[in-house]
Amino acid sequence: MDLNSIANSPGLWIASSVMVIVVLLQSVIYLREALRQAKVLDISRKRCIAGMRSAMITALGPSLSPIIVAFALIAIVGAPTAWMRMNDIGAARTEIAMITLATQVIGMTPQSPDFSIMGYSYALWGMALNNMGWMIVTLLLAPNMTKYVAKLNVKYDPAWIKYLLSGATVGLFAFLLSNALIQVKNNVLVLDPGTWCAAITAAISMLIISKVFSKHQRLQEVALGISMLVGMFAATAMFG
Amino acid sequence: MIDKAMEFNAKAIKIGTITMIAGVIANFIPVTYLYVAYGIIPPIADILKVWTVAAITFGVSWIIQPITFFSLMGVSGTYIGWLAGSCADIRCPAVAMAQKAAGVEPGTPEGDVISTIGLAGSIFMSVSVITFFILVGMNFIEMLPPFIKISFKYILPAVFGAVYVQLAGKHLSVGAMTIIAGFAIAVIFKTMALPAWIMNILIIFSGMLIARIKFVRDAKEKA
Repeated sequence: MDLNSIANSPGLWIASSVMVIVVLLQSVIYLREALRQAKVLDISRKRCIAGMRSAMITALGPSLSPIIVAFALIAIVGAPTAWMRMNDIGAARTEIAMITLATQVIGMTPQSPDFSIMGYSYALWGMALNNMGWMIVTLLLAPNMTKYVAKLNVKYDPAWIKYLLSGATVGLFAFLLSNALIQVKNNVLVLDPGTWCAAITAAISMLIISKVFSKHQRLQEVALGISMLVGMFAATAMFG
Repeated sequence: MIDKAMEFNAKAIKIGTITMIAGVIANFIPVTYLYVAYGIIPPIADILKVWTVAAITFGVSWIIQPITFFSLMGVSGTYIGWLAGSCADIRCPAVAMAQKAAGVEPGTPEGDVISTIGLAGSIFMSVSVITFFILVGMNFIEMLPPFIKISFKYILPAVFGAVYVQLAGKHLSVGAMTIIAGFAIAVIFKTMALPAWIMNILIIFSGMLIARIKFVRDAKEKA
């Protein structure tokens, strides 16, 4: 069995659908409870519908923005996994980062010719273990969250927390980027021009979209997808 | 009325706990399936290694993010948001717009009810959109011309380059210094064939350290 047929097999579709069903069920149960409570509080059905409609319209735009990156995820781990992981916790870029980190443990890179079914299983484990982190923390802390919020704000400066989180994320992508760009064969530095070209043109494209077109909100939402395509196509056109 | 709100809150915690446990189980079904159907599973030692790498890389986010978003998300929002994701870019705006459209104040019992309704609505929307486009994309990928299929091998460097600029744009000096540190560490580790996971940790810590230096410096300048 090759990787592609397992990664897109009916069995994996079913296995991946359980999470999507849980996500939907959770919302259905909450919705039912909220509508019951709305009656108790005397909130008219009309206002509930207005709120729901407004939320759905608001959610449409940002739901569309990760679609191009979702296609990349299909190419890397297959459609069922991309579908499941786009619907649960973890942004597309977090999932791609985690796939790279996990497969690196056995020295593989997704999209390289030697990427095997074993490498694929490392990717799945990586995403599962990473996503579990947020779920477990929520499970443990949510019932007494007000207490933890107060504690965190007293103990640490919220401004520093923001810096710390962005420092960790910048560090992560600095690692992923330098790991992809700096390649060594037999202790000698080998820099692949195609890889560098893809990274640099995508970076420049992102810079232009975020600086020159900073007023176009819709464009900002798809900036990552567009920049990714620009980088990929430029590298392929120049270096094959 | 206060009692009713407390009751709703207690129910929201109960629903959240049960569905979140279901989520944790669902989260591991694909890897279980891979093992049961094909006998494919990484050695336990490697699973622990992957977990360690995940914890070091994302552990701070696991703990800090749900806490910092709580005041915006509320109880039900916390359970929905950390199961389905997209708190900042989809769930928060959806809650705000739902409360505005229904004419309720955030933080009130009415606000909590409408926020829960809005969250559910945003989930139905995002799941439908993603499902539709995954089905389209899956069939679409098969038909793509060879040029685009070849370009797939550049997905990772292109994503990493673009994301890096997106992140670094907010803190230019931190971004510039961290990538320089990253390249230097990568060259040293790779030419000397040192373990990649230590390199991973080191570069992430250098990002945090540089952010700390910048933070302390900015605070001094303001003072």
